[in-house]
Amino acid sequence: MSTEDYLDLRIDDFLDRLAEGGRAPGGGSAAALTVAFAAGLVAMVARCSRGSWADATGVAAQSLAIKERAAQLARTDADAWQQASAALGEAGADGDPEGRDRELEQKLGRAAAVPLEIAELGADAAALAALVGEYCEGAYRADAAAAAALASGGASAAAHLVQVNLTVQEGDERLKRARASEQAAAESAKRTLASIR
Amino acid sequence: MSQLSTLSDAELVQRCREGNTDAWNELVERFSRYVYAVCTRGFRLPEEDAEDVFQEVFTRVFTHLDTLRNDAALRPWIAQLTRRLCLDSIAKRGREQATEEPMAGELASDLDEIDEAFTVREALATLSETCQEMLDRFFARDQSYRTISDELDLPSGTIASRIARCLSKLRAELEGRKVGPDGSRG
Repeated sequence: MSTEDYLDLRIDDFLDRLAEGGRAPGGGSAAALTVAFAAGLVAMVARCSRGSWADATGVAAQSLAIKERAAQLARTDADAWQQASAALGEAGADGDPEGRDRELEQKLGRAAAVPLEIAELGADAAALAALVGEYCEGAYRADAAAAAALASGGASAAAHLVQVNLTVQEGDERLKRARASEQAAAESAKRTLASIR
Repeated sequence: MSQLSTLSDAELVQRCREGNTDAWNELVERFSRYVYAVCTRGFRLPEEDAEDVFQEVFTRVFTHLDTLRNDAALRPWIAQLTRRLCLDSIAKRGREQATEEPMAGELASDLDEIDEAFTVREALATLSETCQEMLDRFFARDQSYRTISDELDLPSGTIASRIARCLSKLRAELEGRKVGPDGSRG
């Protein structure tokens, strides 16, 4: 199955596909969808609080934008990882080694860029979850907390995928950004969960 | 932002009729993206044909501006003119060559989308520069709150709320400018 089809699958079919044993979808796709779930929850909470919170509609619109972007990244990540994986497999083949090295570096770089984007979306989804947790109607606070926890988990998983990418070294700007996103998401989640317990 | 860019369509038409060259340039600037989008995204004309239609639309607007009965209806008039000239262009090229001519339903949907985008763009232009910048960065350039915060030198914790307030202003502006089929604002 092409990775193009992920968003058209039923949830249980996607989960079966995830568990199948192939290389994609994998951690990046799961992280992206986790962030998308979090953003979807934030949108729901915001929409249910429109009667009492002036910014609710604007927050819902931002959550929906994050949800769309994160969901798209589920397949972008799988594509990037499949391409990088194929390039890694060809690394020792005969022919033009310099050309192959360049191609491999470029594909691995792409495979790091996608989870970085997922981590940043996770930080933004967690920030929105913290905001809705503060201003939403009481009945939805638990959903806001759940969204914050999910967003933080997605950001953390994605940041780890950036860290283990072969082209990323300690001190790399991409790693700094991924860790900053992970940390920001964790702080938002901690704050939200603490205020709602 | 120039003073002319804040004029309503009707005021702009009035200035153009008086022979104000800057007003004419503003009119072209205001509608050029719209006309080009209708040609290329709506009717999917090849670039060369789209450029011909583009030139012809503004030539006719310039020469027939005096015939416009309702100055506020400038946009629907330009829209109708553009659509007619696009159809003429397709007919002229011949159906067998216009392989990507959209189906009627698809065309109507694309044109509605272009109209909506143009309306939002107009409304956006009435907001503060900071609001325009933040909405553009978040929704069009997909930038994260952190990037927006760093580049606009604003506290990161306030970005989402600021964007929400800018959206409220945009919504109020859009609701206040509901345009009827004749171009009048209701």
